[in-house]
Amino acid sequence: MRTSQSQKVAWTFLIVLSLTALLAPWLPLADFRAMDPDARLTPPQWTSAPFLGTDAQGRDLLARVLWGARISLAVGFFGTLVAMLIGIPYGALAGFLGGRWDRLQMRFADALESIPMVVFVLFLLSILQEYRADLAVVGFGRLQLFFVAVGVLFWLPTARVARAEALRLRKQPFVQAAEASGMKSLGILWRHILPNMMPALRVMLLLTVPRVILMEAFLSFLGLGVEPPAVSWGGLASDGLAAMNPLVDSAWLMLVPSLALGLTLLALQKVANRAAD
Amino acid sequence: MKFRLLRRIFAWILGILLVHALAFFMMRTTRGGPFDDARALDPLVLQALEQRYGLDQPFLAQYGHALSGLLRGDFGPSLRYRDTQVSTLLADALPISLLLGGGALLIALLVGIPAGLYTARRAHALDGKMVYGGGTLLLALPNFVIAGLLLAVFSFQLKWLPPAGLGGLQNFLLPWLCLGLPLSAQILLLVRSKARQALASDAFRHATAEGLPPRIISRRYVLRPSLGPVLAFLGPASAAILTGSLVIEKVFALPGLGTFFVQAALSRDYTLALGVTVVYTALLGLCTLCADVLMARVDPRLEALS
Repeated sequence: MRTSQSQKVAWTFLIVLSLTALLAPWLPLADFRAMDPDARLTPPQWTSAPFLGTDAQGRDLLARVLWGARISLAVGFFGTLVAMLIGIPYGALAGFLGGRWDRLQMRFADALESIPMVVFVLFLLSILQEYRADLAVVGFGRLQLFFVAVGVLFWLPTARVARAEALRLRKQPFVQAAEASGMKSLGILWRHILPNMMPALRVMLLLTVPRVILMEAFLSFLGLGVEPPAVSWGGLASDGLAAMNPLVDSAWLMLVPSLALGLTLLALQKVANRAAD
Repeated sequence: MKFRLLRRIFAWILGILLVHALAFFMMRTTRGGPFDDARALDPLVLQALEQRYGLDQPFLAQYGHALSGLLRGDFGPSLRYRDTQVSTLLADALPISLLLGGGALLIALLVGIPAGLYTARRAHALDGKMVYGGGTLLLALPNFVIAGLLLAVFSFQLKWLPPAGLGGLQNFLLPWLCLGLPLSAQILLLVRSKARQALASDAFRHATAEGLPPRIISRRYVLRPSLGPVLAFLGPASAAILTGSLVIEKVFALPGLGTFFVQAALSRDYTLALGVTVVYTALLGLCTLCADVLMARVDPRLEALS
């Protein structure tokens, strides 16, 4: 297996981006929250500050995009993790136990699939808005709520993959050998089935991250994303869209964060394709 | 077949009732009423309002009322739009959303399938790669960004199409593209991978060697085997259109179901939100049902398996 040139580019891009996002607080950037009424809607200067221009409040877009990368990447990664934590046990159990249990669990999954889950989650989120103060007390902000939402929305495909893998592995000789030698079911699941599911699950992880990031953008657009002053790419892009009008040229406000988002998702797609081969 | 279809229809109805019940209890058990605005209402006024909308009755009585309304297709008065029945609002919004979603699905299929076949045939040529790259790019952008880009070009720069509102069909063109193109990219990927397999298959080689006309070969040995995944995708595709329409209707200010739903959910217009949720569930269930029936028609093996 050879690593193609584009794969290398994708990996490099993702690593550099993650490092920059991690180090954003220590980089010599303008404050991403600082408003400057004298420098509103400065177009990108490319070679001098503000490199990527400023928004309608005069905030530096480069700093905002890099700080947005922190949220968007973290949300993509941890959101996916939550979905996996629900989906893997569910699917693995269905596939491993088989028979009636499997049918019951999968029937339930089918039923969920024919319900407009997004509508339901939106509903849930808007209702939970009422409880913001209480939830904040136990350390539950918009971000944590978002993770729950993502878990609810994205665990199904993972569960299906985990089930298929568990079904396949259960028939393998080494699993049957373990069974014959009197190993406990839970032990088999933990020692033999789960570790061998990992390659398939890694692909699933890489495929889910972009969808979660897009979901965050979707929620940001509807006003249910991260709360200001925190910024995310989706939020920035939707602010950019809102600022767009035919009289004042402010296209960069939407294009810059969208470009960051798009490139990241393309890189993730590339990497996932490679892992799937 | 008949029996299975009946069972599916039964499951569909059951699903609608379940979603209705769940949404109802979720809304009513949580804090925050539709009448708490920034300005606090006089307790007496509040009481009168709650009485008028039946919000002061016991819980189960309210649910029973809502259920009997559902069976009659009547969701009661909207809590926010004064003196308006939810059913009236839904009846006004549904055609708009159906036109939007149906057109988007049509575009997705009409663009996606040919593009998939084309990129499969020209997988190693520059133009094939470019179309393929364009497709993956579409999948990497939120649809409101695609909407923004199309708006900037076609409405603001070229001034060919209206940016928002509801006039004639020209108002739907951009929304159709915004919803349909990302889906067509997904269909492209599905068709492309199947078609590439088909192009490398023995059946295809054999048919070519026998000298069958290219048209027949591509229809019988490339197109037909590639359509299976597309049919299977119709269910998820309708779900995606539904989700996307929430955003696209807002961007283009189309007064469809999505706009009403977002507004209702945010302003806690219980009855309206409930009505839209039920309609959405019914629509999505109907779409998956149709897709499944179609699939069983095309590939009888699926029928035998289940």
